[in-house]
Amino acid sequence: MKVVAITGKGGTGKTAVAAMLIRWLVNRDATILAIDADPDSNLPEALGDVVGQTLADQREFLLEERDNLPPDTDKELLLESRIYSILAEQHGYDLLVMGRPEGSGCYCFTNNLLRNIMDRIIRNYDLVIIDTAAGLEHLSRGIIRDVDELVVVTDGSRRGLGTAERIRDLEKELDLKVRHMFVIFNKVTPENREQLNKYAQELGLEVAGMVPFDEDIARFDLDGKALSELSETSPAVIEMENIIMKLGI
Amino acid sequence: MADEFPFEISPMFEGERVRKDDMYVELAGPKSKGFELVNAVETDAIEDGKFTLIGPDISDMEEGGRYPLAMIYRIAGELVEPDLEAIVERRNHDFQNYIQGVMHLNQRYDVWLRINKDSIAKGLNSLEHIAKATMMLFTNELPFIEKIEATYITDMGKVEEELAKAMERYAARDERTRNLHDEDVDTFYGCSLCQSFAPTSVCVITPDRIALCGAINWFDGRAAAKVDPEGPQFPIEKGELLDEIGGEYSGVNETAVSLSGGEYNRIKIHSFFEFPHTSCGCFEVVGFYMPEVDGIGWVDRDYTGMAPNGLAFSTMAGQTGGGKQVIGFLGVGVNYFRSPKFIQADGGWNRVVWMPKVLKDKVLADIPAEIVDKVATEEDAQDLDTLKEFLKEKDHPVVKNWGADEDEEVDEDEESTGTSTAMPAFGMPDPAMLQNLPPITAGGSGGIKITLKNAKVSIDKIILSSKK
Repeated sequence: MKVVAITGKGGTGKTAVAAMLIRWLVNRDATILAIDADPDSNLPEALGDVVGQTLADQREFLLEERDNLPPDTDKELLLESRIYSILAEQHGYDLLVMGRPEGSGCYCFTNNLLRNIMDRIIRNYDLVIIDTAAGLEHLSRGIIRDVDELVVVTDGSRRGLGTAERIRDLEKELDLKVRHMFVIFNKVTPENREQLNKYAQELGLEVAGMVPFDEDIARFDLDGKALSELSETSPAVIEMENIIMKLGI
Repeated sequence: MADEFPFEISPMFEGERVRKDDMYVELAGPKSKGFELVNAVETDAIEDGKFTLIGPDISDMEEGGRYPLAMIYRIAGELVEPDLEAIVERRNHDFQNYIQGVMHLNQRYDVWLRINKDSIAKGLNSLEHIAKATMMLFTNELPFIEKIEATYITDMGKVEEELAKAMERYAARDERTRNLHDEDVDTFYGCSLCQSFAPTSVCVITPDRIALCGAINWFDGRAAAKVDPEGPQFPIEKGELLDEIGGEYSGVNETAVSLSGGEYNRIKIHSFFEFPHTSCGCFEVVGFYMPEVDGIGWVDRDYTGMAPNGLAFSTMAGQTGGGKQVIGFLGVGVNYFRSPKFIQADGGWNRVVWMPKVLKDKVLADIPAEIVDKVATEEDAQDLDTLKEFLKEKDHPVVKNWGADEDEEVDEDEESTGTSTAMPAFGMPDPAMLQNLPPITAGGSGGIKITLKNAKVSIDKIILSSKK
């Protein structure tokens, strides 16, 4: 079992990369748990799935209803079952959407329950792929505790690289147990390829892959079509093979 | 003995998930019906180890299908009593998850099971295997169960019929648990989750006092401590009862010392003024004493307006939080308003003079009938003057504490010191209660211990130089 967190600045295509990785890995018979941990992301759409409720909805349900439940209700069992019931079970992977951030009030106990529940769920998969916002909220709260590979997706901009640097610092600051950190360049063109490699070297970032700019992805995005429908010969999809090797997944 | 089953049985299979791709059949769950129930009965009424199935068995079920499932266990033994039913019933979850290829989720009328295809291939073709394995685990792990029999139902009509009866048993059980009080148990529970930001916080959870955050009741503490006694929720032996009304116990005091790092050594669970419970910062509601009316107001996190003392929740929370015993303020969970021991050391509801309407409505049913109309909300009173008027008009119990001359004094006070309302913490009913404010304590064996409380020290420059 391995946990891969994919993060990056909005608009860099991290969700597209996550979706393509999942699609490629499903073809190789891995059982995957896909977690959309970015309140602003659209991993379900990128995968062509429709998800009703989120983990946050279950958390709020518990907060709302806790005084009305039978006093000796086991809240961990209740919450676990509700989370299982909202997993979108697809062929080869299950998808969990974390949903909106916490409200005011105290989430200590609920998050503690969630930690135990997530620990148990995660153990059931070969691979867990988390699409997470650059702030790494769910990781910092320890709801998902150990991350093996932290992958920062960035486009060709200097600013994108700045985000990668910041995430590296944040990861150290939060004291996450990340084993490796990689960067994936997205929307790479023949013109900027060399330059990006050089930048990465200067900043000491290990490159896991360079996803070429792919007109199909842009068109799919515009049409709201799921990226899982991309042709296997798409240059971006082919690059996934390299990335998977590099990440050792 | 486990050899007779077509599956392995081990705690190692706990947490094993049966995904839809791997599932042969789904039983009960959110899209069907079912329940689990343990009934304590007389020994003679049971044939030990007997299994009865009403409805189709696994071998009659379609692959990928979904069926209702009721699991009724009847147990007997010299030590078996109805109070144990709920505890025994919860173990059905553990034991069925020990069975390889079986997933059991949730509890009571929310149970949800799945059996995976591999298990079917290995010969699991009858619910009898599951029932017998579960019964074996019940008697092995809970030796007070001398005899057990099980009835499983997979016929929808019969499940619904039995569920209606089960609901009555659950309701009767809930009635009993709601009537569980501090005096009925030997163990309370503590929680250290808030200590990361409130290091001296001592959170004590009792049947009559929910945690300040409102998230952890006594049963939650018990469940969590059982799973991981070294975890954030842990048992506190009550020890000796020192003050019945205030709710002071020697065991709680000992825990207070160790948990607060020596900062506090006494806690009265149901007291507002004397050795009150510490306030972490997570609390759902903060109580505040208003000396001008000798009453206590409460304001919750969601109320954004000002309380009659001129302060908002956030201001009072800032003042009260951090894991301190702050006389004059107290953080509580909403459910504490439903406790029969609610601040009973200080008059309980008879001392409550104000709360936001939404909060009052939430706990309305639990406010004693004789006081309910006398508790003001923001609709009745927005400041101390209107509050005083309201209380007088309604003849609130606190009014008679004002007394004839004190009444005058209060008026006088009001006229002479209009600003005193901003700092209610200093208007204590009895200065002797400010017991924990010694700023400097002389130590026994040389040197002094300096305790700075709420101090803001700023130093521009420190110059160290050797003596000439």
